[in-house]
Amino acid sequence: MGYWKEIVEGGWSLVEGMRVTVRRLWRPVVTVQYPRKQLNLSPAYRGHIELRLFADTGTHKCIACGACQRACPSHVIRVQGIKPHMKSPKKATHYFIDFSRCSLCGLCVETCPTQTLQYSREYELEGDSRWSSVVDLIARQEQSRS
Amino acid sequence: MPKPIAPPAVDRVYTLNLGPQHPSTHGVLRVLLDLDGEFIVKADPVLGYGHRGHEKMGENRTYKQFMPNTSRMDYLSGLLFNHGFALAVEKFAGIDVPLRAKYIRTICAELNRISSHLLWFGTYVMDLGGFTPFLYAFDDRENILDILDRVTGSRLTYSYCRFGGVCQDVDETFLEMTKTFIDRLRSRFSDYHNLVTKNIIFIHRTRNVGVIHPEQARQFGVTGPNLRACGIPFDVRKMEPYELYDQFDFEIPTGTNGDALDRYNVRLEEMEQSCRIIEQALARMPKGGGYLNRSVSSRLTPPKGEVYFAFESARGLTAYYLVSDGSPHPYRCHIRVPSFSNLHVLVDVLRGTMVADAISILGSIDVVIPEIDR
Ligand code: SF4
Ligand code: SF4
Repeated sequence: MGYWKEIVEGGWSLVEGMRVTVRRLWRPVVTVQYPRKQLNLSPAYRGHIELRLFADTGTHKCIACGACQRACPSHVIRVQGIKPHMKSPKKATHYFIDFSRCSLCGLCVETCPTQTLQYSREYELEGDSRWSSVVDLIARQEQSRS
Repeated sequence: MPKPIAPPAVDRVYTLNLGPQHPSTHGVLRVLLDLDGEFIVKADPVLGYGHRGHEKMGENRTYKQFMPNTSRMDYLSGLLFNHGFALAVEKFAGIDVPLRAKYIRTICAELNRISSHLLWFGTYVMDLGGFTPFLYAFDDRENILDILDRVTGSRLTYSYCRFGGVCQDVDETFLEMTKTFIDRLRSRFSDYHNLVTKNIIFIHRTRNVGVIHPEQARQFGVTGPNLRACGIPFDVRKMEPYELYDQFDFEIPTGTNGDALDRYNVRLEEMEQSCRIIEQALARMPKGGGYLNRSVSSRLTPPKGEVYFAFESARGLTAYYLVSDGSPHPYRCHIRVPSFSNLHVLVDVLRGTMVADAISILGSIDVVIPEIDR
């Protein structure tokens, strides 16, 4: 008896499962045809870090203090700066990041005393060697401004 | 206890390498199976393919710098590991956490637990040959990832918790999305049951397969849903409540036989319990009060001594053991991971079963290999 009962119940369970599958066929689509249609990025999205452009000065505010360099667990950042005059504050001249090593943890962004770091919103990155991920953020900013 | 089978004549045994690139071992796990025909005589898991030295890394960086590592051990429940590490260091250094932050962390952690169970559900059923439920589970999981992405900014390796809170506050939209998601998930359970739980093929491939006895579980230190499936209601959230878990009303689902079907049922029921916790947390969360204790220095130096902190990750009892010599770096950082113990019970459980069941058992135990190798 148990044998036949199992066959009937088992067969019915397959029909039930099939019903779910068929019903789902006509439900709204949940996927997006990616390159042609894109979703909105989350407001908190973390891309690679970049220097913020401040409206009041028209440039970044990095003072090359090196706090981000020390905070970074993966040695991504190397920042260099000079003092143009004896009494003027230091100003960054180079800000290199090696994005291939970045874990996007956000420690640098949180450490920066001048709030000059932010996450970019780029997610389509590609390169042909490891060196493609090494960028000078200051040169990049200059380029995008000119 | 599994019944001992007669040792076979040596020349009949041959060795099968299951993995390290086998699609159903979910990562680089290699199991050496000694087979006598279709029967497994001996199973020997080989570990270490994904070793990155996280514990050693913990010793040469500050406490804060170790936070991103924690979500890369068990990448499916990264937020739970973040949360646990934050709690361990908070206990060590005596840091206060604002109430709102506690609620945020609890909600996010439980969402992460659900997402981990959903992924397990999908992949396990796929191991057994059912592809469709996998897609539905991932559809639901995608919703959780969207919600978490909204506040943490990433989908898998969150690094969201900080010592004394979280790195970003949540907004009304997040709360709204979470509420909607819970209703949605509840409405999907009936589909899951119709599609998988009642499915006769699924039942036959899991019932009385891979039975772990409570005694065996105790010997090997099995924890999490695997232990609860044997009928032992052990959950760190109830046994040694941390964070706010002593204030929530939830149950610990248990099984009776300790077979793969029980483990499946326990995990599905756990998702529902997590939903209950989230609902209560959403209702009680204070509006203000800050999300981060800003007085924590970035070069945090806990006092000389040691701390052991256990919490419940999606796979069982996880613990951090930190020793400080008074410097900003931990002197020793050890992590107790559940998958390690859960995997080694296989040595006993697999003996005497068939090869085809090995896949089902391995899947039902839900191991995450990078967590074991860490
Ligand atoms: S996000 Fe983290 S890993 Fe990346 S540069 Fe900043 S501190 Fe370094
Ligand atoms: S912490 Fe900020 S100001 Fe200091 S070097 Fe880094 S980016 Fe520049």
